[in-house]
Amino acid sequence: MRDVAGPSKAPGSRIKAANKPTKKVGHRTRAMDPFKAAGAADLNSRMKLASRLSSATTTNPISIRGASTRPALLRTSKIGTSGTVRVSNRVNTLDAWREFVQGRYNAEAGFLNLERMIDDEVLKKYKMLPPTLPGSSRKEMPVIFKLASQLKPPVKTISLANNNIRSGHLLQTLPHYLPNLRNLSLQGNAINAWRDVEYIAGKKDQERLSNLREIIFLDNPLREAELKAGRSENYKREMTRRFPSLEVLDQESIAKIAFDVPVASSSKTSTSNAPSASSFPLQMALPFVTGVEGTLISNFLTRFFPLFDTQRASLKSAYAPNTIFSYSALTNIPPRARVIGFHRSKDMPNQTKLEWGPWLKNSAGGSRNLSRMGGGLDRVVRSLHTGPDDTIKAMLALPQTFHNVSGAAEKFCVDAWPIGQDSAMQLFLCVHGEFAEAPSQGIRSFDRSFILAPAPEGSSAKSDGWDVVILSDQLTVRAYSSHQSWAPGPMKVQEGDEAAKDMRQPVHLAEVPSVPIPEAIREEVQSIPEPQRSLVVTVCGRTGLNVKFAVDCLTQNEWDVEKAVANFEQVKANLGRDAFL
Amino acid sequence: MAGLERSDIDIATRGAEQFVEFYYRAYDSDDRVESLPKFYRPSSSIVWNGNPIQGNEGVKQLIEGMPRSKHEVQLHDCHPVPNSMPPSLHVVVAGTVTHGKAAQQTHPTSSKAVDEQPRVFHQTFILSPDAEKDEGGHVKYYITTDNMRFVG
Repeated sequence: MRDVAGPSKAPGSRIKAANKPTKKVGHRTRAMDPFKAAGAADLNSRMKLASRLSSATTTNPISIRGASTRPALLRTSKIGTSGTVRVSNRVNTLDAWREFVQGRYNAEAGFLNLERMIDDEVLKKYKMLPPTLPGSSRKEMPVIFKLASQLKPPVKTISLANNNIRSGHLLQTLPHYLPNLRNLSLQGNAINAWRDVEYIAGKKDQERLSNLREIIFLDNPLREAELKAGRSENYKREMTRRFPSLEVLDQESIAKIAFDVPVASSSKTSTSNAPSASSFPLQMALPFVTGVEGTLISNFLTRFFPLFDTQRASLKSAYAPNTIFSYSALTNIPPRARVIGFHRSKDMPNQTKLEWGPWLKNSAGGSRNLSRMGGGLDRVVRSLHTGPDDTIKAMLALPQTFHNVSGAAEKFCVDAWPIGQDSAMQLFLCVHGEFAEAPSQGIRSFDRSFILAPAPEGSSAKSDGWDVVILSDQLTVRAYSSHQSWAPGPMKVQEGDEAAKDMRQPVHLAEVPSVPIPEAIREEVQSIPEPQRSLVVTVCGRTGLNVKFAVDCLTQNEWDVEKAVANFEQVKANLGRDAFL
Repeated sequence: MAGLERSDIDIATRGAEQFVEFYYRAYDSDDRVESLPKFYRPSSSIVWNGNPIQGNEGVKQLIEGMPRSKHEVQLHDCHPVPNSMPPSLHVVVAGTVTHGKAAQQTHPTSSKAVDEQPRVFHQTFILSPDAEKDEGGHVKYYITTDNMRFVG
């Protein structure tokens, strides 16, 4: 095996050349060197160089204690050939770990064999404990992974089999140092909880082994317990959910579908400042309906939603015999709606009475948000409704709704176009909008994504007067966001915090509409800043008060237009002519 | 579960999970101009906020002109489409997305301005199997239909 220290040889070789005739030093020879302790003079020069090197590398953001500065020490330490001065223990240790890692690497196969570290001769020789041993220092594990990340050619496969590993914490740095690892064996360890697997599978935004092709997890208590409880399907799902790129689990190939994306090339979000657009290439455009008659869409929607609101069971004929329906609840609070304050808005008094409970848990198997769904395949299957009977049953279990499709058109947004070919012509239809929910009468937003097909002659859909029949229907229910989101026109890109600092404004509970200002009061209201100006104009318009009295009235009513107008109604009989325009 | 086996649902579910992970990772990545169009074919039909876009070339042009993005997927769901074998997948995804400089910040914005907050997006995909298979013999899927709107 060749010396893999490769890329950072320079300082060592320079000194080596000064001390010895050039001779290639393999890692085995070199690893012995620390034990032939260095002479005082050598040590002296080594310390200087070491401190110089280590201070030069302390800025390395990925350095870990005990690893990043050590290779430099290692390279210099091997020049020590005589004398009896004791070399620092840490230097020895790292050198030994390096020998260990290199000795266990099969470069041809890209295979790093870290099995049964307890029996390792190198570690025994140096009287070192493997980090996997209970009671040993765990900080050496990152050192091993970092050394592994420096191996050439890069490591593709690691086996950590039979090390009695109990805690996933030990493996936490593995994804950081070897993000492109393809195969991992953890066979014959003592891992007994999913949270230990999380250390390498990663939670949101954490580093994870996202390119893992194969994992062996045989003979771990976690797997054994799942299988014993008859939950092998669940075990498989939990594994594949955590490692979406997995193709082989416990030496069995996983049935899966593939995508045409080179796995390694899709890196994470970078923080680089590569030039990129600062505006959107396109504006928000009107509803997009093409290749299908508009009347077909509007007929469908103006019939479907009222029936969904009032007679769900009668929608049965609109669903194809093999139709699929599911719904999912997005319970996150929309960031823009939160800042605008719809939840506390006086114009929407029922928002605080809305509850997610009836959407999340019901006799229909509950919300099918696959991003949030634990509990194995059972729930995944139970919340998917096939055929018209099951679909209607599920829909009847959902809260009562009212979609005002004959009201303001801009509150709904429809995109639709034909998909599929010739004989299998289908229609894609997606509707975004809002509905009122009973009993609270609070408003929610929704998205409903359909795949439709022409209703076949003689079908119950056709005889019931439907032009199209529903093949697939996915309803997403969300906390309310304004339909302004899809108002046509240019859209702003976020500036980030730097620019935002100057623009920071007080939060207003409701968006202040810009009100056209009547000629008579224009001059007078000019001096009033927004948002107050619009409120004054509104009150002037509704009460006939002049600007001065409108301001007084609003001031006394906490700048709440409704309160101000109500207050005006109470006192208007007592107001003199001078209060009015 | 007429006509739908548990194993079909399992494969479709895992396929969608993997797709969602790969797709938005590619979208937010440095090499998005190369990686994102690979999910599409020349025949793919895409509608981005009401604007029609054709095929992988169209996606490439769109993404070239797009400010950097950071998606947070909060919801997805998937159906195997009836009458298709191997099944097409009807996938919906929703979550928040931030664009521009704010997308490269590691922390959420401290701004209280409405325009500075992440948007809510909703996206539908229909994924269909290609005749071609990958080197592991797995059926390869691509996006035939993609509809995205900012909805909050």
